[in-house]
Amino acid sequence: MEFNFSEDQELLQQTVRDFLEGECTAEHVRQLWNTETGRSAEFWAKLAEIGVPALLVPEEAGGLGMDERDLVLVLEETGRAALAEPVISTAAVAAPLLRELAQSGKPGLAEKWLGRIAEGAAIVAVGHGQSPFVSDAHVADLLLLAHADEIHAVEPGSVDLTAEKSNDGSQRIFSVDWTPVGETRVAEGELGRELQAASFDRGALACAAQQLGVGQRLIEMAVLYASQRTQFGVAIGTFQAIKHRLANAKVKVEYSRSVVYRAANSVALHLPTRSVDVSMAKLTASEAATFAAKEALQVYGAIGYTYEEDLHIWMKRAWSLDLAFGTGAWHRERVAGAVVDSALPAESFGYSAPTA
Amino acid sequence: MKVMVCLKQVPHQDARLDVAADGSWIQEDNIKFEINSYDTYALEEALRAKDAGEAEVVVVSIGPDRVTQALRTALGMGADRAVHVKDPEADASDSLGKAKILAAIAKQEEPDVIYCGLMADDGNFSAIPPMLAELAGMPSATGVISSEASDTSITVRRELEGGCREVVELPRPCLLAIQTGANQVRYASLKGIMQAKKKPVDVKTAADLGVGEQVGAGAAKVKINKIYIPPKSDQAELLEGSTDEIVTQLVGKIRELGVL
Repeated sequence: MEFNFSEDQELLQQTVRDFLEGECTAEHVRQLWNTETGRSAEFWAKLAEIGVPALLVPEEAGGLGMDERDLVLVLEETGRAALAEPVISTAAVAAPLLRELAQSGKPGLAEKWLGRIAEGAAIVAVGHGQSPFVSDAHVADLLLLAHADEIHAVEPGSVDLTAEKSNDGSQRIFSVDWTPVGETRVAEGELGRELQAASFDRGALACAAQQLGVGQRLIEMAVLYASQRTQFGVAIGTFQAIKHRLANAKVKVEYSRSVVYRAANSVALHLPTRSVDVSMAKLTASEAATFAAKEALQVYGAIGYTYEEDLHIWMKRAWSLDLAFGTGAWHRERVAGAVVDSALPAESFGYSAPTA
Repeated sequence: MKVMVCLKQVPHQDARLDVAADGSWIQEDNIKFEINSYDTYALEEALRAKDAGEAEVVVVSIGPDRVTQALRTALGMGADRAVHVKDPEADASDSLGKAKILAAIAKQEEPDVIYCGLMADDGNFSAIPPMLAELAGMPSATGVISSEASDTSITVRRELEGGCREVVELPRPCLLAIQTGANQVRYASLKGIMQAKKKPVDVKTAADLGVGEQVGAGAAKVKINKIYIPPKSDQAELLEGSTDEIVTQLVGKIRELGVL
């Protein structure tokens, strides 16, 4: 049984970290806040050049043919960099949804869009039943929207968008006014329900992975600040009251890391525990990130409240990700349901017991 | 055209560096490593030569297992193959010993151009490029900030002191030691990293290259006696007063030190 990431996976993570540290600075994130779309086509092209949107696209469609166990480390880095681009909807949710549609005998949509996603030539927005809003609908070339037990592939020209407010300047969410019709329906019935559930879990997992990066970054920022800010002639990081706050945040982030990685394994292998594992990941990672945000703010003190200080970029991201793809209450309810109903299957982590 | 790029893996710029218990070098356990920043510009220069025409880019590095990651990254950025000298004796060599190893590889590979970084972020010797050029019998230029190749030569711009530039033409084969900032270094792509697994990495020892007797700690002419962090001093003295008074005090201090 292998619980470690491979050297390849760690090298992929490091490659994305190097790229984002160089290109996705806090200044870059702030600049996008002041643009009309909040997104950068130029940056999306760079991400595609690196290969991020192509990760879950099958090799035959021009992608890298990887799975969520590879993607999770990359998403962690996108959270650490507070990346604003629609990686979750396009790379983490839409690409595998289109792939699974093709596997279900409906290859047309995948043939049209997967290659374009891999090239960075298409952005796909995804709607789901847990939120009335759709992220990044304003820049989408295609919208995949849920309706009852159906999934519809909708062209952007046939919907009306109303921008909704968000605390996070990077988050662009919209109410989508549209009418489901037969021509746009790509899945229904059991298949529709299965694909909706899988897509929702992938989105929640992606949020959890980003929260790991957000939480880690908040701790790093607070540690740096605490080592530079002095009071009574010494760095404030030498005070127990500061150290213990950061230690508590670190414990929560590290604890949630294992839970998120486990959920990535469950999603990749389609394990029966997938949904509960994803909910636990979303819960623990969001709690860790929002806790780290709170503690980091306490370490910074009043300066942390200012717009000029970068801290709020990651704090707001922690809050917006906390509400995306299911609130904490919703995920807690799902875990509780499985526990109380004893609906959790026997644990296997997807590996067969060794045979004698 | 064949291009050889010499890469060194050095501690990551954000790594916390502690002196090893025996004071011989830094503590290398549990720290991250990366490609020497100067060498990334050398690699980029080589990859641009490849982009401009038919060139094979061979990356070469000396070091333990961890160096594989640096080579994989270089292959992921576009290099065609790698040579990894994995040999404790090679690691223990001084700059001249390592230059002899690289010269032995150059003799086998017969590159048209060797690209090196101007210096290493950790050692700061700037020694290997000119040594390697001499041993390989090639003309060389250091501090290169741009290069332009023709069929038989390469014209380079060099950075000199005081903001001056020098234009030099070198016949091929030659060695260029690249300055940081010479170009915009590309990022490895995820696809490139995965494809790099299929690219050949030739692992050799100094003995394989025929220089086993000439390298290693025993053959080193330069030995590091001690690594240490300078003690902090609180002996700074602030000179106060008008500009004329400060200048007068400063000249007095300099005279006290016997410098004037």
